[in-house]
Order: sequence, then C-alpha cells, then structure tokens
Amino acid sequence: MSPYGFTLLITLMLGLCPMASAEPLDEPLKPLPPVPVQDPQRVELGRQLFNETRLSVNNSLSCASCHHLEKGGGDNKAFSIGFNGQPLTINTPSVLNASLNFRQFWNGRAATLEDQAHAVVQSPTEMGNNWEHVVQTLSTDPAYHSAFGNAYPDGVTAANVQNALATYERTLLSTNSRFDQYLLGNTDILSLDEKYGYQRFKDYGCIACHQGVNIGGNMYQKFGVMGDYFQARGNLTESDLGRYLVTKDEEDRNVFKVPSLRNVAVNAPYFHDGAAKTLEEAVDVMFKYQLGRVPSDEDKALIIKFLGTLTGEWGGKAL
Amino acid sequence: MKVSRRLSLLLLSGMTVLLASMLVFLYIKSSTDPASGYSDARDLIGRMKQLNAQWETEILKARIAISHDYDPLVAPLTEMTRLWQQFEAIEPSHERSDSAVWQARYDAYLTLIKEKTRLVEQFKSHNAVLRNSLAFLPTAEDDIQNQFAHLQDHDKLQLQNIATDTYDLLLSSLEFAQVASDDKAADILVGQNKLVVNKLRLPEELHEQVDILGNHIALILREQPIVNSLLTRIEAIPVASRLDDITDLFNKDEQQIDTSQQRYHLYMLVFSALLVLLLLFMTIRLLRSFAEINRVNRDLQTANEGLEQRVEARTRELKDTQSELLDTARQAGMAEIATNVLHNVGNVLNSVNISADLVTRKLRTSKALGLGKAMQLINEHRGDLGHFITEDEKGKLLPGYLNQLVEAIALEQQGITDELAQLSKSVDHIKDIVATQQSYAGANSLMEPLQVSELLEDALRMNSGALTRHHVTVVKDYAEVPTVMGDKHRMLLILINLISNAKYAMSDLSDRPREMTLGVKVVDDSILQVSVKDEGEGISAENMTRIFAHGFTTRKEGHGFGLHSCALAAIEMNGHLTAHSDGPGKGALFTLKIPLKIAEGET
Repeated sequence: MSPYGFTLLITLMLGLCPMASAEPLDEPLKPLPPVPVQDPQRVELGRQLFNETRLSVNNSLSCASCHHLEKGGGDNKAFSIGFNGQPLTINTPSVLNASLNFRQFWNGRAATLEDQAHAVVQSPTEMGNNWEHVVQTLSTDPAYHSAFGNAYPDGVTAANVQNALATYERTLLSTNSRFDQYLLGNTDILSLDEKYGYQRFKDYGCIACHQGVNIGGNMYQKFGVMGDYFQARGNLTESDLGRYLVTKDEEDRNVFKVPSLRNVAVNAPYFHDGAAKTLEEAVDVMFKYQLGRVPSDEDKALIIKFLGTLTGEWGGKAL
Repeated sequence: MKVSRRLSLLLLSGMTVLLASMLVFLYIKSSTDPASGYSDARDLIGRMKQLNAQWETEILKARIAISHDYDPLVAPLTEMTRLWQQFEAIEPSHERSDSAVWQARYDAYLTLIKEKTRLVEQFKSHNAVLRNSLAFLPTAEDDIQNQFAHLQDHDKLQLQNIATDTYDLLLSSLEFAQVASDDKAADILVGQNKLVVNKLRLPEELHEQVDILGNHIALILREQPIVNSLLTRIEAIPVASRLDDITDLFNKDEQQIDTSQQRYHLYMLVFSALLVLLLLFMTIRLLRSFAEINRVNRDLQTANEGLEQRVEARTRELKDTQSELLDTARQAGMAEIATNVLHNVGNVLNSVNISADLVTRKLRTSKALGLGKAMQLINEHRGDLGHFITEDEKGKLLPGYLNQLVEAIALEQQGITDELAQLSKSVDHIKDIVATQQSYAGANSLMEPLQVSELLEDALRMNSGALTRHHVTVVKDYAEVPTVMGDKHRMLLILINLISNAKYAMSDLSDRPREMTLGVKVVDDSILQVSVKDEGEGISAENMTRIFAHGFTTRKEGHGFGLHSCALAAIEMNGHLTAHSDGPGKGALFTLKIPLKIAEGET
C-alpha cells in the first residue's frame, strides 16, 4: 500500500469514527443533502438582497423581515405584516430548506424560488413593488451595480435579482439536525422515546405525506381528508381555497402543499392560517382531519418528541 | 481606352470574386455539420424519455406501496424540466423553432407533460391517503377485535357475527383495493351497512373505533377508483410517443439536411466541373492566343527582315551617296589644300620676288659698268698707256678707281651671292610646300629630327623682310629643348603663318613698340609647346571661336585659310593649336602643343 493510500485510509477511519461505524439508514425520510456548490459572488449578492429593504416599495421590508433565519426561517406571527402595515392573509412558511420543496408557496403556485421572489416583490400586500423600480433602485447603488456587474454578465436585471436571491436561498439548509445524524447512521443520538416517536410517526401514517428529504414538501394534499377542517374552524377566507386559486379545479379546493416538518418545533404558529399556536394543537388537527385517527396521549407525546429531533442548525447554532 | 480597360479589369475581378464566393458558399452549405447539435438534442430527448419511464416506474412503485418516499416522483419531473430547458437552449440552432410543425410538436409535448404532472400530483395526494387507510385497515380491525375480546357482558355469538362482518368488510376492502370492481364496491357497501347496524349493537366506547374504520373504508371506496382512474389516465398520456415525435422530426430534419447537403454536394460538383470546363476553355483560348501571338511574332519577324533588307539597301544607297559626297568633299578638300599650298607658296614667292628684285637692282646699279668706262679710257689711250696712267690728269686717277671698283664689285658679288642663297632657300621651301601638298594627297607626313630653335629661325628668316619693314622686334624666349622628331614642313607652315599673323596684327600699332615673343618649351616632359605672342589688335570674344574656321579673316586682303590650315596641320600632328586674347587691343597668344617625341640618340 502506498503511503498516500495509507494516509487516506487513516483519514477515512478517523472521519467515520464518530458515526459509530454505521451505515446510513434506509428510511422513507431522507437526510439533508450537502449545500450545493454555487458562485460565491452570487450567493453573497443574494444574501445582501435578502436583507435589502429597498426591495419593498417603501423601503420597509426585506425578505429577512419575515424570514428570521436564526428563528427557523419564518416569523412567530400567524400572519406577517406587509409593507403597508396590514397583516397578510396566509402564514409565512420557513425559507430554510425551501429549495427542497417541490414547489413554492402554500398553494404551490411558484415552480421555482425565482418565481417565488418575483411574486413576493410584486405582491400588493407583501412588498408592493415592481421590478422596474427595483432594478432602477439597485442600479443607482454603486455597490450593487458593481456586485451585479461582477456576478452577472448583464448586470442588474430583474431575472438576476431573482436568481441571486434563489442562489442564496439554496444555501439555506438547516443542517445537522439530530434526526439527520440518526439517518446517517448515528442511531445513538436519538433517545428511546424519540425513536418510539419516529415509530409512531410512521405507524400512524404521518409519513404518507411527510416523507422524503424535506419530510414533506413533495406533494399536495387536501386539508381535511377525514373531516371538514374549515367548517369546524369557520371564518372562511380566500386563502383557504388553496390550490383552487391556481387551477380553479374543484378537485383542488382546500388542497395545499404538504409543508416540510423540518424545524417544525421552532416554527409555530402552524398551518396556512396560523391557527394552531402549538405543536400539540397542530398534531391534534393532523390526527383528526388528515389521519382520521385518535392517538393515545402517550403516542402523541412521543411523536412530538420525535418532531423535536427534526430541528437543525443555522449559522452553527441550533435553531 | 484606359477607362474601358479599368472597367474590364473591375468586371473580371468581380466575376472572380463571385465565382470564388459561390464556391465557398456551396462548400459551407455542403459541409455544415449538424451532427453535434442533433445528437445533443436527441440525447436530451432520449434522457427525457428515460426519465419519463423512470417516473412511471416510481408511480407504480408508489401505487403498490413499495416506496413510501414521494421524492422519486418529483425528481424525474424536475430533471425533465431542466433537460427541456437545456433542449430549448440548444434547439434554436436548427432554425426550426418558427416552423408550425415543430411548434405543434413542442406544444403537444408540453401540454401532455403539464397534464401528466397534474394527474401525477393528484395521484400522489390520493394515493397517499389511500395507502395510509389501507395500511391502517388491519390495525383498525385488530383494534376492534381486541376490544371485542375485552367485552364481557355481550352475547358471544352476536359478537362473533359482528367480528365476522367486520372481517368480511376488511377483506372486501382489501379485495377492492386489488380489483376495484362494482361487485366488490357493492360488497363493501353491504359491509358498511352491516357495520352501521352492528355499531348500534356495540357498547358506546366502541362506536368511535367503528366510525374510524368506517371512515377509512369509505375513503378506500372513494379513493381507490380515483387512484385507479388516475393511473389509467397517466398511463394513457403518450409523453414518450410525443418525445418520439420530436425525435422523428429531428430525424426527418437531419435527413432533409443530409439531402440538402447532398444536393449542395452535387451543386458543388457541377459547379466545380463547370469551373474546370471554364478553366479548360480559358486554357485553350490562352493557347490559341499564344499561337496567334507566335504567328504575329513570326509575321513581324518576316516584316522585320524585309525591313532590314530595305534598310540595308537604303544604307548601301546612302553609303554610295556618302562616298560620292566624300569624293566631292575630297575634291573640295584638295581644292582647299591647293589653295593652302598656293597661299603658302605665295608667301614664300614673296621672299623670292624680293630677293630677285634685290639682285636685279644690284645688277642694274652694278659698279661693273664703271669697269666698262675704265676700259674705254684705257682703249682710248692704248698708245700712250703708260703716259696716260702716269701723266694724264684722268689717267692718274684710273688705278685708284680700278682698285675701288674691284672692292665694290667684290662687295656687290658678295651681296648678290647672299641674296641668291636666300632665294634658293625660298625655292627649296616652295619645293617642300609642294612636297607637303603631295603628303596631303595621301603620303604620310615625314618625321625627321628637328631642332626647334632652328625651325623658328628659319620661319623668322622667311618673314625677315616683312618684319624689318614693319619694324617688329622679335623677343626669343627659347627654353632648352632636345632634338625632337617632327614634321618639319607642317611646323614651319604653322610658324610662318603665326609670325605673319602677328606681324599683321601689329601693323596698325603706333602707340607702343611692336614686339613679338617667340617661345618654346617642354611641358610635363610629354608636350612640346611653341608659342607666338604679339602686342597687336587682339581678338574679340565673339571671334575667338571662329578664328580657326575655314574662310574666316579680319583682313581686307585675307582669304581665311591661314589659321584654318594651321589648326588642321596641328591636328594632323596629334597636337592642337589654341588662341588666347585678353580682348581687342590687348594682343594675342597662339600656342601650338604637340606630343613630344625625342629623336633617337638624344637623352
């Protein structure tokens, strides 16, 4: 064996040691992928734009105004406040791991993160801006002008602003959750209760919708499969129509994108209407209207414990 | 002429450029390589087809609950979308995107994929809840059965029936999940009705469980046909064949391009052949014109030869004319020479004349006549001769007279002899002049050893009479000159002429002494220089160039041969005669320069 090969072997062994020499588990839930390799100039530009209040028409809001990265990627309100001080009509979903969702927005009306940014900037309730104005504003800023010039051949354009934002957002992954470590083979990291919780999560059929790499975020589902959630809740709004707003298909009434459960413990309140203030409430609603099951209190507690293991890290700190 | 030439040149180059660009155009057209674009595009379509198949596989896997993870149902579509964008990015290079057929095919694909996506999304939603309920059914049933086991106060038989019914319902539902036929659906409906009836027979705490089971079975009954129909519809969507259609279009397009390429190949071949023919034609034309040029050249040569002959004839005629002229000239020359000779002879005859005159005069006044008178006296006194001589007055004088007479006659004789010698010398000179004239007539000049100073003295002597008459003082400025080989008579001719001219030039001089300077010296050891300088009337600048010309003279009685013949004579001796004057009234200097040839025996 060559010295190089030997060194490599040692390095590999050392690297694998904390994993307790285990194979990744084959589960319906998948660990987070690594952060994609992208143009660092564009990422940095996207980061600046993400925190740029000039994206809103009255310089009041940036993306970060509603998406607090260090607090789970959303905000703690049922409805965030728009540029004009009025609350929005739908709960702010987390931006963390959003790139792993198969579509964006609760009703999945945006196919890409670029489309999502486009819609938010132009939304008359969120940022209230238009792209012409955004491009003009950013072009007159010499810092942005040169940063765009360096990162994009055609400088400041609406498409490039959206792309920079999307590029940055693709780096927003809440890595190193305990459950991910578990999936990667470090089975000791979960407590027995949490492991039971995962078992219950699967047994009760939560994984029918919440599975895959984002533990959700890869399909649409009707809110209220086993009962009429909205009738029970009352106070119907337009947002409650869900995907129907996009397709005008009766089939899609009250259909929403299944949200990711990553960092669910730190993303209260829950659902598109922010109606569930706590995780317990949310789990109850899910059992009642989606699963049509009645869990024991013990099972519910276990599941909630399991959900806590899905909280990852941002900026090296646990969320 | 010039304009039309430039125009034709322009036209020619235009034609050349046109032909060349046509060739290049055809070459490019026939060799454009669409292979890479086509293969890339087809490769993309192929990969999309593959992904589509993979997608369908994953759908089936989800349908039979092998996989609980729906990410594989998302990934192929994402990838297909990405590939399609990639495909659209390279596709426009085929310049077919505007074509309605292509657009229709693309739209067909996009519509289908959109529809399929929609159906797959629905399938995912419905299948998820269906799978969940199906997975839950056994558990739900077990839960109920377990509850039955714990029921103490119930009719066992009734419970048994209810359990059987529930179990049947479960089986029906599972069967329905396999074959969603109307029969099975009816079975389930019956089972559900039984369940509703049975529920009432069961204690309150079991109602919820039964309801849950009922709900889930209802869901299966509802969702299973939906899922099945969705699957059927998804399968019915011919995404793959639409992709095949696009590939077909590519194939056709490529074939078309191949055909057009072949056609352009053919065009190029034909065009090349035409060009070759053109070249051939031009070569032939060139050869022909070359032959034509040759022929014309030959004609020209022939013409040239004829011309040469004619020129030769003309030349001959000219030569003849020239020799005639030459003869004429010779005669003229001879006449000139004769004039020359006669002039020179005339000069010398002058001396002869003078000598003869002198002798005649001396003879006429000779004292010899006195001898006659003395003899007469003697004859008269023949008898008394002694007396007469001694006594007679006259007779006494006689002996003295005779003595004086003898002396006078002796003196006279001496003078006459001298004068005759001079005369004979002049006659000799005339002889020489005649001899010289003979030399003009073809005889070579006679080279003989000469003492230049003697020659000068001879020349002076020949002019001595005139010089004396004109009171000309001669200054002799003779350097040491060896005996040279020279043509005595030519030299003499020149010198006599120059001295004579100098004398004439000073004939009107009264304000200063008439002085003539004769000089002789050797210049550069190679040239003998003889000069005659006078203080006379000089030569004006305009005459300076003409003084050697034939017939030029400034004198009334002159005939203009003197200097001309001198100059000729100088040239004949390979020398030359030059004149110099500071202007009218300032005298003149004539210089004869001839090559110095030292006589043998001299050093």
